Amino acid sequence: MKRAFCSIAIALFGLALVLPASGTGAQDQDKEILKIQLPKPMFVGTPKNIRTANLEPITGKPRGPFLVPVGTVLLSAGKPVTASDKEPVIGELSFITDGKKSGEDGYYVELGPGLQWVQIDLGKPSPLEAIVVWHYHSQARVYRDVVVQVSDDKDFIAGVTTLYNNDHDNTSGLGIGKDKEYIETYEGKLVDAKGAKARYVRLYSAGNTSNDMNHYVEVEVYGLPAK
Amino acid sequence: MTKKAYRGLFVCAVLGALLVRTVRLDLRPMHHDEANQALKFGDLLERGEYRYDPNDHHGPSLYYLTLPLARVLAGRSLAATSETMLRLVPALFGAGLLLLFLLFAGGLSAEARVSAAFLAAVSPVLTYYSRFYIQEILLVFFLAGLIAAGWKYLQTRSGWWAAAAGFAVGMMYATKETSVILFGALAAAAVIDRVLRPKTTSARPWNRPAVLLHLVIFAAAAFVPAWLLFTSFLKNPNGLGDSVLALGTYIRRAGEPGLHSEPWWYYIRTLLYTRFGHGPVWSEAFIVALAIAGSIFAFGSEPGKDGHPRLVRFLFFFTVLTGAVYAVIPYKTPWNVLPFYLGLVLLAGNGAGVLWRTGRFLVVKVIILAVMLPGILNLVRQEYRANVTDYANPTNPYVYAQTSLDFMKLVKAVEAIAAGHPEHERMLIKVVAPPDETWPLPWYLRRFTRVGYWTDIAQAGDLRDAPVVIASVAFNAEAGRALDGGYQSAFYGLRPEVVLSLFARQDLWDGYVKSRAAESPARRGR
Repeated sequence: MKRAFCSIAIALFGLALVLPASGTGAQDQDKEILKIQLPKPMFVGTPKNIRTANLEPITGKPRGPFLVPVGTVLLSAGKPVTASDKEPVIGELSFITDGKKSGEDGYYVELGPGLQWVQIDLGKPSPLEAIVVWHYHSQARVYRDVVVQVSDDKDFIAGVTTLYNNDHDNTSGLGIGKDKEYIETYEGKLVDAKGAKARYVRLYSAGNTSNDMNHYVEVEVYGLPAK
Repeated sequence: MTKKAYRGLFVCAVLGALLVRTVRLDLRPMHHDEANQALKFGDLLERGEYRYDPNDHHGPSLYYLTLPLARVLAGRSLAATSETMLRLVPALFGAGLLLLFLLFAGGLSAEARVSAAFLAAVSPVLTYYSRFYIQEILLVFFLAGLIAAGWKYLQTRSGWWAAAAGFAVGMMYATKETSVILFGALAAAAVIDRVLRPKTTSARPWNRPAVLLHLVIFAAAAFVPAWLLFTSFLKNPNGLGDSVLALGTYIRRAGEPGLHSEPWWYYIRTLLYTRFGHGPVWSEAFIVALAIAGSIFAFGSEPGKDGHPRLVRFLFFFTVLTGAVYAVIPYKTPWNVLPFYLGLVLLAGNGAGVLWRTGRFLVVKVIILAVMLPGILNLVRQEYRANVTDYANPTNPYVYAQTSLDFMKLVKAVEAIAAGHPEHERMLIKVVAPPDETWPLPWYLRRFTRVGYWTDIAQAGDLRDAPVVIASVAFNAEAGRALDGGYQSAFYGLRPEVVLSLFARQDLWDGYVKSRAAESPARRGR
């Protein structure tokens, strides 16, 4: 009796396995898996070795005009700069607001690897219209986790407004950003400040596609003079 | 030097060479050329297919010499191979090169051979390219084998050494067709030496019938390996003929170097003094200086304990001629320094050996050692930098169109995204990039079974079929439009100035971000 029960149970279990499969088979009897031959990579010789500067934009058209209120001026020229890296590897923090934007050696400041920030003190809270940053434009590269914030708090604890954030995976810990990454060019990256009123501007980055270091040639902050 | 000291020191040099050539071979991301060679080898490994390509990639010896090791370690699957496994082949030949120096006994003193072995063991350029899956170190190995076998033949007049020399010629040709330049330089060096050599009565007479027989043996030993390898063991009968016709292509390329044009002093500058930007100074001037000393001592002295001036003179002429020919050819890449660098190392070994033997008193030997020690330590320091810390840094003169470290983050991202995809390694990946912006992707994506490569976005079909799309910057905007939202994009560096964009379907990207959030912050750093 026990044997007969076991045999029936095994038969039912087998049937349960076979039925759905045979049902699918009946539906797809006149079909087969489409085999697509994907193209193979083309073999090619040693590519160009690049060590020299390239000051040309890589892609895209020149940036179109950006409209600002009448009376907008450059607020950041010569203003003091502080940074998370107190001892830059190359250059001086003052390079960031010295007005010199050449892509050559001697015009940029290099901060250490990983997440670093630089901060410009505009002296007084002002309505800001645009912030333009040149990280390093003598080579096509992309800086990671670029975040631009403004605040009246020099420690960026209270009243922080984020104007730009392309940290897609929150590696910086400043929240996931929705802005796009971009390739550095001689035009710099213009961030719309949308009239945010602040005294301090802080810019973050976390290395780039060529190395882990952080660079700044220049940062320009435009806005209306404080009244 | 006592025999015991000689043996002990030589063993130390070989072991040291093995160590610096084989440790952490996976550190450097695969170079464009290495990945090309690896995929070519993959066809041989998986399907037994190899067909000589007269337009590129040089000879087949690298692939066939990799085969035994790969069969043992990876079976018949390219996916089961690794960077370490492939690079082990040039690494072993790079260390084996030192053993060939033993054959220069009678031509170079024991001190010279040991010194040459130590210099080769720690030479930055030799170690760097011994850890590189391309043909150059194999070529240098067989070149050293040819010179050594030729030297032994002159001493013994044995048919075995004629066969060994012939085999080395065949393998050199099967490694790089452009070895004909080296054959020319070797022949010219022999002729110059013959013309300039004072006539002596002590020279051993030649037995004409034996020499003719040895010439036949030499030719047969040269022909057979080249014939077998170029014809894929007779599967491609035209292979050997194609290799001869390919010389026309290489001659044209040498004259029209395009992307690889450098001035005549490129190799001299690379060896003597290089500094890019804020990077450190690189120099192998110590070896060049010793080589000059070794060459000066070669003229005028008689055979004896300091070796045989004939061999040293031959090495000198060969090195100068090869260096001159390579200097004149506008096409230059840093690994092409290696053939005449071999001559420099042997001459430098001779220089160090003669200096050592010149100092008869212990005090003088100590002073010589004290003078040489900083030079050796500087070489060791540069070797460490070249292979352990700055292996992908463009300020390293031997780094040439190297894949950047950032590229490995792209590979890691694709692997993590695939892990979250139901089809895992069967996930469809579309790559749209020109060929020179594609490599080494095919190597790193070799475990994925559905990867397509297109050079034009219009031919890639609907990009939205693929959960992951990798595009060159030229196609970035077009790919973004074709994907019509729903994809997250991120840039990754391939090489200096070359950036790739990764597009991942938003749900997969979000999963990837979540998986990364679970990792420790130290491991994350995109």
